[in-house]
Order: sequence, then C-alpha cells, then structure tokens
Amino acid sequence: MATLLDQINAVTALNVRSIPQRGWMSAASVIAVALTITVLLFFLALANGLRATVEGSGSEDVAIVIREGSNAELNSVVTRDQLAILATGPNVAQRNEAPLISGELLVIVDGVKRSTGTNANMPFRGIGQEGLALRRGVTITRGRMFNPGTNEIVVGAGLLREFSGFEFGQTIRIRGSDWQVVGVFEAPGTVFESELWADIAVTQSLFNRPNVFQTMRVQLTSAAAMEAFTRWAASDARLEGLEILSERAYYARQASQSTQGFMAIAWILGIMMAIGALAGALNTMYSSVQARSAEIATLRIIGFSGWAAFFGTMVEALALSALGGVLGVAIAFLAFNGRTTSTLGSGFTQLVFKFDLSPGLVITAIVVAIIIGLFGGLFPGIRAARQKPQLELAAA
Amino acid sequence: MNDLTLMSKNLWRKPVRTILLIVSITIAFLILTLMLSFNHALNNVNTLPTRMVTLSKINFTESLPIAHYDRIARTEGVAVATHMNWFGGYYQEMPRGFLPVFAIDPETYFQVYAEDLQIPAAQRDAFFNERTAMLAAAPVAERFGWRVGQRVPLRSNIFTNATTGADTWEFTLVGTIPTPAGSSQTGSVLIHYDYYNETVTFGRDRIGWVPFLTTSAQVNDRVANAIDQRFANSQDETSTQDEATFNKSFAAQLGNIGLVITLVVGAAFVAILLIVGTTMALAVRERTKEVGVMKTLGFSSDRVLRMVLGESLLLSFLGAAFGVAAGAGLLSVLAAGGGGGPQISFAPIVTLWAALIAMALGLVTGLPPALQAYRMRIVDAFARR
Repeated sequence: MATLLDQINAVTALNVRSIPQRGWMSAASVIAVALTITVLLFFLALANGLRATVEGSGSEDVAIVIREGSNAELNSVVTRDQLAILATGPNVAQRNEAPLISGELLVIVDGVKRSTGTNANMPFRGIGQEGLALRRGVTITRGRMFNPGTNEIVVGAGLLREFSGFEFGQTIRIRGSDWQVVGVFEAPGTVFESELWADIAVTQSLFNRPNVFQTMRVQLTSAAAMEAFTRWAASDARLEGLEILSERAYYARQASQSTQGFMAIAWILGIMMAIGALAGALNTMYSSVQARSAEIATLRIIGFSGWAAFFGTMVEALALSALGGVLGVAIAFLAFNGRTTSTLGSGFTQLVFKFDLSPGLVITAIVVAIIIGLFGGLFPGIRAARQKPQLELAAA
Repeated sequence: MNDLTLMSKNLWRKPVRTILLIVSITIAFLILTLMLSFNHALNNVNTLPTRMVTLSKINFTESLPIAHYDRIARTEGVAVATHMNWFGGYYQEMPRGFLPVFAIDPETYFQVYAEDLQIPAAQRDAFFNERTAMLAAAPVAERFGWRVGQRVPLRSNIFTNATTGADTWEFTLVGTIPTPAGSSQTGSVLIHYDYYNETVTFGRDRIGWVPFLTTSAQVNDRVANAIDQRFANSQDETSTQDEATFNKSFAAQLGNIGLVITLVVGAAFVAILLIVGTTMALAVRERTKEVGVMKTLGFSSDRVLRMVLGESLLLSFLGAAFGVAAGAGLLSVLAAGGGGGPQISFAPIVTLWAALIAMALGLVTGLPPALQAYRMRIVDAFARR
C-alpha cells in the first residue's frame, strides 16, 4: 500500500511540476473555472443579500395583520374597526396605558435612481404613533422623528444612498401639499431602510384614502404570546378574512418570493458555464496526458501501477480547478461583495440591499470548482491508466 | 481534395478535442442567445414616436380621476386618447394564474394601439358590442385552455364586485390577439372599463393612465407640457412622457440589466476565447512537421495561413450554430411550457450578433497559430520536435 502511495506521490509531483510546460492551456482552464465561479457567486450573493435583508427585518414578538390572500401589502385592507378590536387582544404590550400598535398604509411615490436618472418606485409608509417603537434597531441619525399630524417625512438611509429626491431638509410637493424631510433613520440590514415614513392620518388624508389601513402591527408581550393572540383573533367573527402572523414569518415568506428568480438564474447560468469550463478542463487534461505519454509509459514499464498514473492526472485536474475556484472567489470578493444595489422587491417597490458572500456560498463555490476538477480529471485519468506502455514508447 | 476537405479532416483528427471545443463554444453562444433574447424582450416592445402616456406625477400606481381623460383628449396636438386601469387580475390562483388584466375603453384603445391589434373584424365588433366581453393575448388563452365563446371567471386581488360581493367577475372570451415578438399586447387581457367601473365597490371613476397619439412627434414636448401644466397644483398632478421613455424607466427598476448581461456574456466569452485559443495554438504546434511537409510540397504560405484560419472559423461557426439553435429551441420549449413569467421569444437579431461574434472568435483564436504557420520555415519545421 505504501508503495502505491509513494508511486502516486511521485507521479503527482511529476504532473504538477510539469504544469508550466502547458502554461497557457492550464491558465486558460483555471480562468474558465474562475469566471464560472464568479458568475455563479454574483447571482447567489445577490439572492443571499436580498434574502438576508428581507428576513432580517422581522421580529418574533410583533404580529402583522394583513388581508388573507393579499400577496403584497399594496392589496391588503384592514378596517379601522378591526384595528380597534385587535388592540384589545390578549398579551398586547402597553406603553403609558395605551396598546403598542400601529395601523399602516403603504403608497408608492416616485424617486429618482441615482445611477440611471430614471424614476423608481419608493415605498411611502404612513405609520401610527407607535410605529417607531415597534421597530427595534431603528435609530434617527439626523434631524428628528416626524411630528404627528404634520406633513413631515423621515427617510431611510439606504434609500438615500441609491435614490435622490428625498434629501434631508428638502421640501417635496405631493398632491398639492408640501412635505418636509425632517429626519434620516438607519435600520441596518432591514427593508425599513429603503422606506419613507410619515404620520398615518396625514398620509390617509393627503393621498385621498380616508380611513384606509392595509396592515397593522401589534407588539406582543413576548414571542410565546403569538399563538394565543392568533387563536383569539381566529375565534372572533369580526376579524374574519384577516391573516395574522409574526413579522419574522411574514418577511421570511416575502424573502423566498423575491429570491426564487435570482437563485434560478444563478444555477442555470452557473451550470451552463460549468459545462463550458469542464470542456476546457478535459481538453487541458487530455493534452497533459498526451504530452506525457512517453513518461507514463516509462513509469509503467519500471513497475508503476495504472492507479498512480490515474491519480497523478486526477490531482493535477483538481489542483487546476481548485485554483480556479479560489481565484473566482477572490474576484467575487473584490468586485462585488458588500456593494449596495437595489431591485424591485415583492412589494413592487425598490429594496436596497448589499451583495452578501456568506461562508456557505464560498464553500458552495469551491465544491462546484472541485466537481469540475473531478470530472475534468476522471476520463483523462482513465486514459492515462489504460495506456499500453509498449505501444506508446514505440510511437515515440 | 480541396482545401475545405483538408480543413475538416484536420479539425476531426482528434474528435474528442474538437467535440469538447464545440461544446464550450456552444455553451457561450447559448448564453448569448438567452441573454440577448431576454434583453430584447424587455427593451424592444413596439413603440411609436407619437405615442405618449400621461400618468400620475406621484407614481404610475396612483390613479387619476376620469375627468382628466376628457381634458387630455381635447388638448391641442392630441390625435386620439384612451385610458387604462390595472385590474389586479388572476385566474384561479396566485401566483400561477397572475394576468395583466386591463380595464380599457375599447374603441379608442383600438385606435391608439392599432398596429398590435390586427384581429378579425367579427371578433373586434363582438368585443366592442358586448360589455362583458374580453380579449386575451393568444398565448394566454392557450396556456389556460380558453376557447373563444367561453365564459371565464377572473379574480381581482384589489377590487370587489358590488353585484356579487366577491372578488370575481365573469367575462366572455370573444377573441384572441396574436402577439408576435415585440407586441405591446404581449400577455395582456382586455376588459371593458365601463363594465368594471359600474360594478366595482371602490375606486369608481378613477383610471390608471392615459395613452394617446399626438398628431406628430414634433409636438410631443409641447403637448406634454400643456397637459402637465393643465393639472399642475391640482390634487392629481400628472407626468406625461413618450412611451419609449416610460418603458425604459420601468425596465430600469429591475436593476442595471444591460450591464449584468454584458458582464455575464463577457465572462462566458473570455473563458471560451482562452480555451479555444490555447487549444488551437497547441493543435497547430503539434502539426509543425506537417506544415513543413505541406510547404515542401509547394503549398504557399498564404494557403497554409488560410487553412489554419479556416479551421478555427469552421470550429467557431459550428459552435455558434449549435448554440443559437439550442437557445432558440430552449426558448420555444419554455414558451410552450407556460409559467407565470414574461414570454421571451427568440430575437432574430441574435443571429446577426452571433455571426459577428463567431467571426471575431474564429479570427482571434486562429490568427496567432495561423501566423506562426505562415512564418514557419521548412528547415525549422523539420528541426523541431
């Protein structure tokens, strides 16, 4: 056994050291694998960043109430009466003897995308007085919160980075009234950072949607209280047609809707490019086997086994593809990891997020590269192992 | 034996290598075909330079009062105007049954979008005359198996029908609209605004947007200004733009798709260029001795150059042809399979791009080894091992 290992080591060293002789071809197959990995990671990191942002927005102990079957907030309706009933539910957290709830209305307004100068859909959310308290991790970093009952807006820092039209201090004219941007808030890694917030009552009246709420948020005393609260609501006929779930579950659902497309694109393109790169790797390895046919034959004649020839080729293929994989990951880190971008989210409004290369994605990428290497080494390796020594030497 | 036979014999002397090269070239052209067709479907919707659209200044999802329509239609320079409203429609279940259903004013709509609404006069009249009539893009009707004359219940995820108290409306399919690539009616379902407006519980007398034709593209800016001025400082301010501008900004909402496509296609081709280039160089180097023999036999250097270049062009065009064919096939399979996504059809312009790129790929990968063969002296060719 030791002798086989020695043989494999010897042949592998021979193979790897002779890579520079086929320098251009080897480099080509390394780069082909690297580009495949970069393209795959581009879409996976995009989907991952989008998912992380949407999923990271929800709390376990905040209930969100929407109309059953409404795919997006935009199509949901919750009446003022239902709002009042829900406020009396069990385990609703209180502050200053008032329930911590927020009836909300989302309208879409135009902003201007900085990179293209074109109009884009911005979520403009009317929130109740407790709307800010219901969202942990939100801090006003500039100016102040809007005053209830006034035409004042606070804007998310993420939105400001990607879109113009809502800068701090600016006055905006919507439906014949002036709105003033009085504050900027940060809520790192959440969808809230892509939103504009204003007082719910003012939003309803100025957007001509008197008494219309689309969603309601309810702060419960604990995450464990969610079940009792939903059970209580289900037993009340006046709340029929409403769906109640935790904010976390709500955003998890939105996340899977938004990322499905990008995941599909990632793998369709990734697999196609991997096949192309595999063809390149196979060519390189067949050439490698052919270039060394005389050496392999000599080794076989002096007693090296076919396995040694096989593993030598296999290790060379794996080394090249792993190198390609590492290079691909490096390009991904330098080119786009952590970059901010935006797309149309499931709520039909722009969502600002960052490309996120998680350790899991890096491992996925390396695994894909190694799979390319395995297939790229397999068939040429078999050919190397099966060579007829006498024939090869005679030909040489 | 002519040169072409010799070239293909050379190409197939190592069949495995050649097949592998063709596979990788095919993949690159397949990616090119899919990406370009997608981009084309997104950006090349039929537009008319005289077709404009008036929307709410706040955002296109905000509605406008129906009174705006008459005022826009009477604006000087407007030839004919129509109006549309988003119904939030779906068939049976979301998201699979999602449909872009528009509540429209039939007769004016057929004037504004005349070129994309070439349907039999009998179907058109049936649609005009029956308030509950519906027209659907042919692929939509096919996807759900609707027959002309059939009653189809459509649901809305926004509105409620006052007559039934439910979110369902029944329509009669009276005709289908053929939608060749680029048609502005791709995927749409058209219903009567009047029928919708009389039965809806809220949002009555509001419309989504107003598409119209101007008398000439020269007056576009003047008309847009006149309309937007007319409603300035009102409750419902407007933004009027030409159709192409609106489509462009709508597509840009998804992200910088053009850049992403360029980078992905670029990455695929850089990889393939390197693989094919280095392999071609190797193939010619292996044949050094043969080049010497050919030159000894009296083949001119020009002819040797042409043959190596011809071989790489042949390889490149073979791969391109397979790739484009595979892409076109895949797109037609996807289109037939339905699904909720946008219909993407093969864009013929891809063929032109593929031919140009195949030419460039063949030349770039073939030229270095071809020049080497061209310059090679017979003595050196035989001296080298």
